[in-house]
Amino acid sequence: MKRVITLILIILILGIVLKACIKRDIPYSFPERIEKHDLEEINYPPDNKNVTIDGIDYLQSQAPVGKFGGELIVSTIGEGPKTFNPCNTKDATSQEMAGIMYDGLVTTNPRTGQVEPLLAKSFEIKGDDYIIHLRKGVKWTDGKLITADDVMYTYEEIVFKGLGNPSTMDAMKVDGKLPELVKIDDYTVKFTTPKPFAPFLRQLSYSIVPKHYFKKYSDQGESVFNAFLSPNTPPREIVSNGAFKLKEYVAAQRVVYERNPDYYKINANNQKLPYLNKVVYMIVGDMNNEILKFEAKEIDVLGLRGSDVARYKIREPESDYIIYNIGPNTGTMFLVINLNNRKDKNGKPYVDPVKHSWFANRDFRAAIDWAIDRKSMVENIASGVADPLFTAESLNSIYLNKYIKGHPRDLDVAKKSLFKAGFFNDRGVLRDMYGNKVEFDLYTNAGNLEREALGVMIKQDLETLGMKVNFRPLEFNSLVNKLTNTHDWDMAIMGLTGSPLEPHDGKNVWTSGGSLHMFNQRPQNYKYDDRLSWEKELDEIFKEGALKLSFEERKPLYDRYQTIIYNQKPIIYLYSPLRIIAIRKKFKNVFPTSLGGLIYNLDEIYID
Amino acid sequence: MELLKFITKRILQVIPLLIIVSLISFFIIRLSPVDPLAELRLNPSISQETLDKEIKRLNLDKPICIQYLSWAKSFIKGDLGYTSAGEKVSVKLKERIPNTLLLTLVVIFMTWAIGIPLGILAAVKKESVLDRTLTVLASVGMAIPSFFFAILMLIFAVKTGWFPVGGLTSYDFNELSFFGKITDIAKHLFLPAIVLFTISLSGLQRQMRANMLEVLDSDYVKFARAKGLSEGKVLFKHALRNAINPMITLLGFEFAGLLSGAALTEYVFQYPGLGRLILEAVLKSDINLVMASLMMGTIMLILGNLIADILLMITDPRVRTAKDGEKG
Repeated sequence: MKRVITLILIILILGIVLKACIKRDIPYSFPERIEKHDLEEINYPPDNKNVTIDGIDYLQSQAPVGKFGGELIVSTIGEGPKTFNPCNTKDATSQEMAGIMYDGLVTTNPRTGQVEPLLAKSFEIKGDDYIIHLRKGVKWTDGKLITADDVMYTYEEIVFKGLGNPSTMDAMKVDGKLPELVKIDDYTVKFTTPKPFAPFLRQLSYSIVPKHYFKKYSDQGESVFNAFLSPNTPPREIVSNGAFKLKEYVAAQRVVYERNPDYYKINANNQKLPYLNKVVYMIVGDMNNEILKFEAKEIDVLGLRGSDVARYKIREPESDYIIYNIGPNTGTMFLVINLNNRKDKNGKPYVDPVKHSWFANRDFRAAIDWAIDRKSMVENIASGVADPLFTAESLNSIYLNKYIKGHPRDLDVAKKSLFKAGFFNDRGVLRDMYGNKVEFDLYTNAGNLEREALGVMIKQDLETLGMKVNFRPLEFNSLVNKLTNTHDWDMAIMGLTGSPLEPHDGKNVWTSGGSLHMFNQRPQNYKYDDRLSWEKELDEIFKEGALKLSFEERKPLYDRYQTIIYNQKPIIYLYSPLRIIAIRKKFKNVFPTSLGGLIYNLDEIYID
Repeated sequence: MELLKFITKRILQVIPLLIIVSLISFFIIRLSPVDPLAELRLNPSISQETLDKEIKRLNLDKPICIQYLSWAKSFIKGDLGYTSAGEKVSVKLKERIPNTLLLTLVVIFMTWAIGIPLGILAAVKKESVLDRTLTVLASVGMAIPSFFFAILMLIFAVKTGWFPVGGLTSYDFNELSFFGKITDIAKHLFLPAIVLFTISLSGLQRQMRANMLEVLDSDYVKFARAKGLSEGKVLFKHALRNAINPMITLLGFEFAGLLSGAALTEYVFQYPGLGRLILEAVLKSDINLVMASLMMGTIMLILGNLIADILLMITDPRVRTAKDGEKG
């Protein structure tokens, strides 16, 4: 009798505990669809103005006047910055960290995407000449004036020589030639490009560095310059010109910036910005720790993962944070098909000729495109926090071809397309016109859960057409080796980061000789012209697009390139994740934009 | 003199060992299909020239034997080289070693200061309530996986707000007073130390108890008791001295684990120690960093054993005579 009672009691307690768990759990489905137009309710301030006070050319913020003081604590995932030298940053974190400390001549308007002056007071474009007027009376953090000499030094001795990270030099070259630079007076310089070159103006956002501080290191050559401004440099020694200067770096823990009291940006009351005393970047190893830190109120801003959005959205009303949906990010997730018909050194084809005959067939690729269910990918893999993608430009690109509307999944269209290409379905098995069973490998990088889930869904989608897909997640480095060196793959799920502002940045992917022309990679110094007709057209577009200067002239060209990719489908785009970011309500002057992100205006943000 | 000879001999033995370890690890890392430039290759804005330059800088264009030799040459000279991101390996290690040492030393001190007395107590009061409680606690401590316990502790920190979530210092550390700094570090150290402490305490306590029980059961203890010595003298003068010997060997191993033993816990707590650094280095195939840390681990292991042997020679006359006999 006693035993029975104990048993009942145990079961009761267990039941109550379990029930409690269920009650506290959060539903997996969405309480409401996350509104896509969060940003439309924001009252953006007018653009910044130039104001001259006592001979100093200030940049005046038009945002509401705030209070001085306080600090903003954000996080960066990974191992932290590798260098504070803005000319030598090779990873995104270092770029961001050094970018805070050093301003460039121009910047991108975070709303319109147009180029606007920053450290430069203004610029004029006359044909191939770019005349840059500098601000007078603006100082480095050590009190010395910023003059044309610093600009000359930055470009001639660092950028044009390819010191540090040479990607800007690569991007500035037109037909292998660099622009010319002339100093007109102490506050004016003139760049001349060898040919009209549209991406050039945006390249001028390169950080300007102090000659009197950098020169003694850059003169000693590459290896000394690469080690210069390593994270362990004493902060007091560093001369910079950004809104914040480095205060402290603690390895694997944090980077602390403090306000630059001599910054050239002022508010509407002519008080010197920035408002915040300190900006702290906590270095966290992974996303889980970041979330915990946000919950423990140790950080103020958190980029939310798809699976967390619903939970945070429910708690938002009674919490101290506000969630912004700043739209699709610049990342693109895609399925790439190998069209390579070349042979390796031993005369063995990279891709089995039978498979190549399928992959080279546009109708076969179209069938794959129509069979893929992007909607359920968005729902299931991205927890609804993404938009289906059909274009080569990312969804927030100012060059996005808005006429490409995409299509839902339609198996009938896919089947018709396969029939047209001579494939037939033999009791659930798809065969080509010679009776070969359609079977191929699909790769992605192992460990990336999102891509692995995508692989499984694509496999299922394609198997409804009777194709046999062998899904093989590979270690990231091995996969890259396959894609860029050995070329022995059939299809792969990959992602690339695009630029929402400059489609020309994708030239390595789209031009036939590019180093990332994955779907039809040619060896280096390849001599034969075996370009497909649409590859030729893409080459033309990218050549011409760089020569045209105005947005209006360039847009139709880049629209055309997206149409070609959409029609030919060497790369089938899947979706773009949305960026959902939470920030504490106490921060004011937060004007998130799709292009700029959430806290691009660190100098205007204040605490109320 | 005897001791000095012994030490030199041991140190000489280390050299072939280091060569073998470095050869094996270097080749395994280099022959694995991990390409340190993979991320760069997938960056659309990186040109071929830039890639070639990087390949040259990292010596990837040379045969693997040459790569090894050039690494070995600079290692002997005491130059650990540069990481793939261009930072000095020695600087990176120097940033992290004190943090890891701080954590592991605190933990080792705590476990030994508490584990040994508890083990003795449990052995002396065998089968008592105290012994049984300790047995249960030890089983629990050994059964919990360290990462899981660490995560539980983190959640505890978030829910209560009593402890910071990971790290070693607060962001305003430099503005704190001297005592503020000490409390800040103590607060940050508390949770990771507790996790490591709980886990190693159980093992140590059990080991000490078993050793002590064995000794207490031996004839000479019985003889000592029969002789009429006080229980305290029996325990501390006769039993303990014999029971502690195996623990000293253990201490040598603990020394080897000083720098690498806490990697998992460090990772969960985002502790700025060596563990996190090395993990990233391995994933990125950052050869110089990985090699430096592996060599360091090997040297620590050898050193630990050496120290244990020397300590044993001091505490245990039997070892000393055995060594002498070996020589003769």
